Amino acid sequence: MTDPAVYSEKLSAFSRMLRLEGLNVSPKETMDACQILAVLGFEDKSLVKTALRTIYAKSKEEQILFDQVFDGFFLSEEAMRAQAKEAAHKDAQVAQARQEAMENVQLREFTPEQLETYATMPEEAREKLRQFLEKYKDSSQRSPELYANFIHSVFAKALLEQQIQMEEAGSGGMAKDPELGLMYRDISQFKDTDIPKAITIIQSISRQINGELSAKRNKGAHSGKLDFRRTIRKGLETGGSLYRLSYKRKRNRRKHLVVLCDVSGSMIQFSEFALRFIQLLNQASESSRVFLFSETVFEADAFNLQNMDLFRNYVKDCGVYGKGTDLGSALEHLCSAKPAILNPSTTLLILSDTKTIDQDRATLALLQAKQLAGRILWLNPLPESHWHHIRSVQTFSSVCSMVSCSTLHSLADACRKLTL
Amino acid sequence: MNIETLKQKLDAEKYVYDDTLLTVLSVALQLGRPLLVEGAAGVGKTEIAKVMAAALDRDLVRLQCYEGLDESKALYEWNYQKQLLSIQVNMGTTDSDTLTKSLFGNEYLLERPLLQSIRSEKPVVLLIDEIDKADEEFEAFLLELLSEMQVTIPEVGTIKAKSVPFVVLTSNRARPLSEALRRRCAYLHIDYPDMDKELQILRKKLPHVDDRLCAQVALAVQKLRSAEAILKKPSIAETLDWAAALDALGIRELTPDALRQTAGFVLKNNEDIAIAGEAVQCDHDHCHCGGHCHD
Repeated sequence: MTDPAVYSEKLSAFSRMLRLEGLNVSPKETMDACQILAVLGFEDKSLVKTALRTIYAKSKEEQILFDQVFDGFFLSEEAMRAQAKEAAHKDAQVAQARQEAMENVQLREFTPEQLETYATMPEEAREKLRQFLEKYKDSSQRSPELYANFIHSVFAKALLEQQIQMEEAGSGGMAKDPELGLMYRDISQFKDTDIPKAITIIQSISRQINGELSAKRNKGAHSGKLDFRRTIRKGLETGGSLYRLSYKRKRNRRKHLVVLCDVSGSMIQFSEFALRFIQLLNQASESSRVFLFSETVFEADAFNLQNMDLFRNYVKDCGVYGKGTDLGSALEHLCSAKPAILNPSTTLLILSDTKTIDQDRATLALLQAKQLAGRILWLNPLPESHWHHIRSVQTFSSVCSMVSCSTLHSLADACRKLTL
Repeated sequence: MNIETLKQKLDAEKYVYDDTLLTVLSVALQLGRPLLVEGAAGVGKTEIAKVMAAALDRDLVRLQCYEGLDESKALYEWNYQKQLLSIQVNMGTTDSDTLTKSLFGNEYLLERPLLQSIRSEKPVVLLIDEIDKADEEFEAFLLELLSEMQVTIPEVGTIKAKSVPFVVLTSNRARPLSEALRRRCAYLHIDYPDMDKELQILRKKLPHVDDRLCAQVALAVQKLRSAEAILKKPSIAETLDWAAALDALGIRELTPDALRQTAGFVLKNNEDIAIAGEAVQCDHDHCHCGGHCHD
């Protein structure tokens, strides 16, 4: 058995790397890792990887991050040689491209930054740029400003592509695990083949959320009122002395949920997933009613929302699929219905991307609904970064609380907020 | 215990495992760390503790967690009735201090699974099953035991473990566990077995069942698990029950009729049984297998 201290320096550095990736690693884990490496040695890399993963990673998500860091840190000699060779080859290519740019008459007008970008661009893109310069050689003299702007836009595009490539490389770990990949992908980008997996994920997350909510409800659940019957019964065990007091349980009043769901063409995929999620959250509400709308509104039968195919056929049969969106008329219908649908114990949940005809009427109807319902929560499938470009989002979000849920992960977070 | 020895012991128990599981168990044993096993219901989490108890020749002490579980059910409780009787008997004693002291002795202490596992002279395997069902307060209460292998009883003081138990905690991820608990454990996540592993389990556990039938059962179970419409996915134990039931009925071929007759052994609700036939249909139009070949 080797002395554990032999590995301590390398494993300390490895622990630091893991911390940088967001894992909580304590010195105790590093010590455990040293101890286990002293027994296992370092000959069998896959064995070492599994052993260290057991010590350092404490969840499925952490295991994926761990694998990424381990593969990068403990490179085999061959992999290191291959990487060094690749890096040297790349450097030589960049140097050659830089030299070529200096020698090329047309490229001499480039700024040093542009020359550097040119050198790092792939050969295909460089060739395209050279052809372009050759083609518009004369026009550059006629309108130099327009020409310079165009060149700038070509470089900006190249830089953006490089950035996207780097981001994708960074999220490679998530892509390795199909479940986590789907959790963080835009729902509208799901392919047909992703849907069964996504449904399984929804089922498992909703089970987890139900568990969390149930635990929250039971926490500190007593109302402060003494339960005499139970206290006296318990007291019999201790000879009549009231040794342990029992308290009456707090009554759980769950909310009534009214879901107003946009099923126009652009929204159907998101609506299917969101509704499925909400249906599975039996802890979120005592009872729920679902209304589907596009140009018209109708109440959905809960049975027909249970399964993807049933849902699609149901929406198509009702004749609302693929039509425009009139949120104003849908909200007016909810506000004016007799007997009343919205009341102070109701949470109104709107699933829509805010694109609607007659936005002013919709805003007025939303204000009216806000007065009637206890609470309004809007789940918006558009990413939050796009919100400031869209006027309707700004208008509606000023009236009620709006949550972005473009991915399953954000949808799960939004559903957790339903009970707050 | 090194990996080779553990491997031999697990083989002796006819347990089907992969290299990852073997390494994880060996690491947890060598470090004396509790092992937290997560995975869906029915993937064989509890079985790990049972097999380890048999392999290490230790007693298995099991604590089944549920909402409202507290230290009086998990750690210890005073025997109130006996204490009251003792007070009545010694009513005339003048030395009240001695009487009070004697009331909180070992004689009146009722051991619950956690205390039993650390007071045992011989090391045991402690299974804390479905920890996600217990309250967060109970999780916090476990931290002292898991990190220091000791518990504190206010009337007695701190009790250190006489022998270090091998602790296995299981969770279905019904709620996320606290970071503090996770940090104290070695971690293992297990999924449902693939076709090959399931077939190996069937062969090892039911050696008398026809190999062709085992393969058909394993394939059908894989299909049932991957079908979206099936609400409750079959567990490994249910696969074994199903194969045993088919064998007991003298069925040698998993035909649609046989599936209909015995579906109750593998699927546990009416909706699932109704669609089981469609779910296990094979895609081989050419092989005339009736939807149940195992190629």
